[in-house]
Amino acid sequence: MNFFDRFAIPHPSPAIYASMVAIGLTVIAIIVGLTYFKKWGYLWREWLTTVDHKRIGIMYLISALLMLFRGGVDALMMRAQTAVPENALLDAQHYNEVFTTHGVVMIIFMAMPFIYALMNFVVPLQIGARDVAFPRLNALSFWLFFMGAMLFNISFVIGGSPDAGWTSYFPLAGNDFSQSVGTNYYMLSIQIAGIGTLISGINFITTILKMRAPGMTLMKMPMFTWTAFITNAIVVFAFPVLTIALLLGTMDRLFGTNFFTTTNGGMDMLWANLFWVWGHPEVYILILPAFGIYSEVISTFSRRNLYGYKSMVASIVIISFFSFLVWTHHFFTMGQGPLTNSIFSITTMAIAIPTGIKIFNWLLTMWKGKIKFTVPMLYAVGFIPIFTIGGVTGVMLGMASADYQYHNTMFLVAHFHYTIIPGVVFAMLAGLTYWWPKMFGFMLNERIGKWAFWFIAISFNVTFFPMFFTGLDGQARRMYTYSEATGFGPLNLISFVGAVGLAIGFALIVYNVYYSTRYASRNISSDPWDARSLEWATHSPVPSYNFAVTPKVNSIEAFWDAKKKNIPLFQGKIDKIHMPNNTGVPFIMSCIFFVWGFSFVFSLWIPAIITTIGIFVCMAHRSFEKDDGYYISVKDVEDTEKKLRGVS
Amino acid sequence: MSELFPRKQVMGFVFSLVLTAVALAVYFFDLSFAIAMTILLVTAFVQAAVQLVVFMHAGETGDKGSIYTNLFYAFAIALVTVFGTLLILIWDM
Amino acid sequence: MKIDHSLPLEYSTDQNKLNILGFWIFLGAEIMLFATLFATYFTLVDRMGSGPAGADIFEITPVLIETLVLLTSSFTIGLGVHAMRLGRKNAMLTFFAITLLLGLTFLGVEIYEFTHYVHIGAGLQTSAFTAILLTTLGTHGAHVTLGLFWGLFIILQVKKRGLTPENANKSFIFSLYWHFLDVVWIFIFSFVYLKGMM
Repeated sequence: MNFFDRFAIPHPSPAIYASMVAIGLTVIAIIVGLTYFKKWGYLWREWLTTVDHKRIGIMYLISALLMLFRGGVDALMMRAQTAVPENALLDAQHYNEVFTTHGVVMIIFMAMPFIYALMNFVVPLQIGARDVAFPRLNALSFWLFFMGAMLFNISFVIGGSPDAGWTSYFPLAGNDFSQSVGTNYYMLSIQIAGIGTLISGINFITTILKMRAPGMTLMKMPMFTWTAFITNAIVVFAFPVLTIALLLGTMDRLFGTNFFTTTNGGMDMLWANLFWVWGHPEVYILILPAFGIYSEVISTFSRRNLYGYKSMVASIVIISFFSFLVWTHHFFTMGQGPLTNSIFSITTMAIAIPTGIKIFNWLLTMWKGKIKFTVPMLYAVGFIPIFTIGGVTGVMLGMASADYQYHNTMFLVAHFHYTIIPGVVFAMLAGLTYWWPKMFGFMLNERIGKWAFWFIAISFNVTFFPMFFTGLDGQARRMYTYSEATGFGPLNLISFVGAVGLAIGFALIVYNVYYSTRYASRNISSDPWDARSLEWATHSPVPSYNFAVTPKVNSIEAFWDAKKKNIPLFQGKIDKIHMPNNTGVPFIMSCIFFVWGFSFVFSLWIPAIITTIGIFVCMAHRSFEKDDGYYISVKDVEDTEKKLRGVS
Repeated sequence: MSELFPRKQVMGFVFSLVLTAVALAVYFFDLSFAIAMTILLVTAFVQAAVQLVVFMHAGETGDKGSIYTNLFYAFAIALVTVFGTLLILIWDM
Repeated sequence: MKIDHSLPLEYSTDQNKLNILGFWIFLGAEIMLFATLFATYFTLVDRMGSGPAGADIFEITPVLIETLVLLTSSFTIGLGVHAMRLGRKNAMLTFFAITLLLGLTFLGVEIYEFTHYVHIGAGLQTSAFTAILLTTLGTHGAHVTLGLFWGLFIILQVKKRGLTPENANKSFIFSLYWHFLDVVWIFIFSFVYLKGMM
């Protein structure tokens, strides 16, 4: 039994036991369901082995929504615990586990996959391509992310959740102060998912540089594709830093090295430094695609070209470079000298300028436009003022000497939620609603969507605005409770009420998905919003080959011109279309990675060695493999086109 | 036989050997820190450039704009990371 | 698959061009990977705890052998790619094989170097300095090891299937990888060893 002791939860609670049961029952239900409905073959053929960017995008989307639920439950628990002074809902250890999980899940396993879901589905369509440059690597990217997420998510029922914050600072995250395997889970699951992201970075840059439709120069690309391009460039240069940081952290915990220890020459601040060299570009990785979505939505629903295209492009390029120059603002208070803090203060304030340019360009796009307040447009219009609050409080925090007052108080928590939620989450919801008809062939219900928006937008402010005040009053971050005498009680209670409102809002979104799936008409146009870019020139649902004939483009809004000025988009005959074959290797290799990660978490060296060899065997197999794909015949393409044109 | 040993590659190899020998000067002679570091920086970056341009054919195709931009960005951010880290953790502590 | 016969074989199809550009982007990421290791190295280089410093343990002879061997292997693989472009399959295979043998020699010397360091008290767990030294050298060495297997697989494929657009593409990309490892070594040679022995 001693061997199994290591898998026990160090700090169990009824909620954790209940979750173990729930997870077990869900897994059994899934297996039984698939067997009963005889869907294993379907699952393997259509989803587990797919290399189609549209399918991969949908799998990322489902994963992101599931993780949104998990991260949201964590948030509700935290707000419930801090709603009243000296509450006993979560003890300190559990509170630490919950805020750690909340941060990692929301950033790495919810926001990133949500972004990649939309980039995967939309970018190849927006540039008139049939898929990404490396479809098999694309599948590998998804499955690595998925296995990383699964590994992280079982931590709280096997071995113990990480509890050192989503930033996992040393020496707290070292063996002396975090003895459970929780931090091992942190290091390895993020490492695995991170490899997937890096591969995607390379994939999307190559795709966007080389696979655009004829006539689509870089300066004629839609703005979402531009932001996807720049975002993936940031990924390529930022994620390797995280790879090394996690490697060194893993080595300290598993192999007794002294990178971040407090003895034998180790330097704990080095972790914080390396983490944020990655961490700051990461937040721009999150926000830039969101900006791209807003550009699409605002332009479509103002029925106008995006104002200031060139300055929009320039601003995202500048932001991408500057994002690597500001990282120290995350630890102004941690001991470096005034020269350092001054330099990084200046760069931090400077990066607000290109962002400001974008806000004005969006406003000017709406000026004199014919605005239609659809659900996506509501999120976009709500984003502008609310995000601006986040942005200006960021400039406040960027002033190093003032930051000594704000750092690690609830003021900081409010700031980053005021940028991430109206920035990233609103954009994801807007993008989801906007591109949903293209993905699934029906619209999400507008009325329910609007109720959800208002619940979310208002409740968000009710939840987080009070935190600016409690933070200035001195309430620290990551504190599981406070005494009545501090006076933090009333505002924290208001935050809790807001959190409940947010939960209702997100529940309404889930209900919308169910309701619309059940009742919405499938008889809709392939361009239901009367939009401007190439993805709307395809049929709904999109056929596997995307476009029967590759479009020829000669303006920023070739599809709009095709509709309004009768300039033809698709000239030329249909030819046989080359498609890549499905493959099971990405899924299998990722399963091996899961076991590999698990083995390292628990220091199981034999399985670790075997799975390491297994990973290399998969790579060797790929090297020797000869797979030239298959062709869709001209007749099959023509038949599909006729069928889809009949429906739409 | 001589078509297998193109001039550019041979010259590049010889030049790299020369640069390596020059770098060795900091080991064999007693030089000031500033001079030694300058020699190392110059020889290392020049040899890296020789590898990239002469051996790896970085400028050979229509993608050379993308390739050079990629390399420039990578080196720029690499230098920021290295020198930024040193400033934060060593020089201005 | 459309083959453009006006271009070298490794560039002659659309997928080939994508593969090569994608690999260059990957090398950009690898530059950042090694940059992070270097940043960590320079931060921890003077933090030896009670263990030895670089000047105490580095020896010029094995370092020079490693450097010359790797540099020569970079030359021979360049000759291999040139032979490939001339369509000289056997010459190409010979140069590639010599490259891998030189790589194996490099690894042999490096393994000797590591065992020597451990023997004289500069192991992975000794101090922050030894940890980052061995991790940086080890990451580079692991890349070389992977390269040896990868190169071997390519040689086997070219032997078996002849010089096709796919094989030429793989061979060229492998040469990019191998050259890049030499570029990294140039910086290791200069700023780890020579700087440490100044």
